[in-house]
Amino acid sequence: MTHIIDETQDRQPPASRDAGAPVSVLLDRINRVVVLLSSIALVIAAVVLTYSVFSRYFFHFSTDWQDELSVFLIVGAVFMSSAAIQAGRGHVAIEAVAGLLPARVNRVRMLCVDLISLLFCAYFTWKSWLLLDEAWTENFHSESTWGPPLWIPYSLMTVGMGLLSLQLLLQLGAGLAWTRRA
Amino acid sequence: MSALALGLLYGGATLLVMFLGVPIAFALGAVATLFMIGFMPASSVDTIAQNVYEEMASITLLSIPLFILKGSAIGRSRAGQDLYGALHAWLHRIPGGLGIANVFACALFAAMAGSSPATCSAIGSAGIPEMRRRGYSPGFAAGIIAAGGTLGILLPPSITMILYAVAAEQSLGRLFLAAIGPALLLVVLFSGYAMWRFRREYDAAKVLQAKTGAGSELLRDEKLTLRDKLALLPRVLPFVILLTGVMIALYGGYATPSETAGLGAVLALVLIAAIYGVWRPAQLRPILVATLRESTMLMLIIGMSLLYSYVMSYLHISQSAAQGIVDLHLSRWVLLAAILVFVVVLGFFLPPVSIILMTAPIILPPLKAAGFDLVWFGVIMTIVMELGLIHPPVGLNLFVIKNIAPDIPLRDVVWGVMPFVGLMVVAVILLCLSPGIATWLANVVMGA
Repeated sequence: MTHIIDETQDRQPPASRDAGAPVSVLLDRINRVVVLLSSIALVIAAVVLTYSVFSRYFFHFSTDWQDELSVFLIVGAVFMSSAAIQAGRGHVAIEAVAGLLPARVNRVRMLCVDLISLLFCAYFTWKSWLLLDEAWTENFHSESTWGPPLWIPYSLMTVGMGLLSLQLLLQLGAGLAWTRRA
Repeated sequence: MSALALGLLYGGATLLVMFLGVPIAFALGAVATLFMIGFMPASSVDTIAQNVYEEMASITLLSIPLFILKGSAIGRSRAGQDLYGALHAWLHRIPGGLGIANVFACALFAAMAGSSPATCSAIGSAGIPEMRRRGYSPGFAAGIIAAGGTLGILLPPSITMILYAVAAEQSLGRLFLAAIGPALLLVVLFSGYAMWRFRREYDAAKVLQAKTGAGSELLRDEKLTLRDKLALLPRVLPFVILLTGVMIALYGGYATPSETAGLGAVLALVLIAAIYGVWRPAQLRPILVATLRESTMLMLIIGMSLLYSYVMSYLHISQSAAQGIVDLHLSRWVLLAAILVFVVVLGFFLPPVSIILMTAPIILPPLKAAGFDLVWFGVIMTIVMELGLIHPPVGLNLFVIKNIAPDIPLRDVVWGVMPFVGLMVVAVILLCLSPGIATWLANVVMGA
């Protein structure tokens, strides 16, 4: 099952000319770089797994780092790019109610949606940070024979969720400013 | 608080937040977190991030973005149109052959791309205008493509099946194989209907011509030489080889499912570079961005759905609900029918990914207790979820069709799709009467 999200799905007014504008511009730039790096990470993961098949078949070479490296690359790409996806409102939601509500009520609904999303993502970022801190100070490693340090994926998760929270905060701010003007 | 009350509260809160319009991933995460804070020990709340990470860091789940990459690479090239063109050339002599060519093209493309909307848009963008040019009614043309596209979540490498394998702890290889028979059954049913419907439209056009002299494109005969037909093959063969190569890698024991996904993605990128000259960064960018957008959205829903069901299980909600269903002592088939109706209703609003992960802990234990084969049920559940893709109010494929053929009124699209909904119900009934349609191939290849 799969769902392709339209890139033009932005239903909210742009955040420009508000107090958050410089941050918004900065986040936009960061998102562009992150999307590029994440795309490359996905391709590298695919190449690593392909290498794994060939090395086993042709050289009877069995190593265990490929799976773990692919996991790090893909999990990293997913968390890091979640803010860029949110910028285009690409996280799918049930929009059945939106069409039934009057415009004013719908604006309040959108504010509630962004607030709930923000509270959750900010809380998750905080918990990820605590996990990262623990993994760093206690020097946690994965249990495989390769045993890479776990602060690598945890830091990608923390930064990714942090960026996502910032994106939501900006969208909430833009929504509030727009409601006040309207 | 009793598990029942807690369960009702959990379900109610989820519905409220989701229908408010909070993105599904954040809605599931927020409700789960709230209940963790309210009803679970503080130590378990502290592990929330670790929980999500560990659930997501499964190599089986991470094959999903790579399958999406493979689908996106093929979906954004001209492969869909070429595939469709070749099938049309070979099938056009059969009555309704154009419609049948579209069904076949959808099935083959779905098997390569593994995505339902991608199939709809790749085959539909060539197929719908062609069918309409040849006099097919717009609703009929739209129906064939919307329904054909749903095969994307049934045929391997279906992302829905990967999740079901994880949620139900069943063999992914067996599930993939079990889906092939039912998918072929659907192809036969859809093609049979296309033939019958073509005959009716053809006869009606003939009667109209006899009465008024008004000609119809449906009545025009088309002739293609063998040379025309052969000329179309070279562009299609590499993709068919990719499809079979990937399957051989998986079932020949050369690669694990995730390695197959990586191999498929790399081969798809190599093929579109070699055949269509798509290799420059500017050409690859839209493919990669689309992959990332879909993967991130999907993987976050998956991660949060797993957190959601972890909380449900910790608070004994899923166990009590499952036990409650067992205690109703429903007959096997009533139980199955009730569960399928529940899945259909959820499918009206939720993507199959969330339906599987949220409901599996509740509906699978009673089905297992009633003696149903969970691999067989996975196939049935997938077909039922396909209905949600072509059924209003959400019906994702309907909106894809609306995008590629904006001048067909939504009403016509919906009515054109309805006979196919009926055919899917027929397929489910046939699968219940003869489970071997699904299980036979899996048993032959992988042992009973």
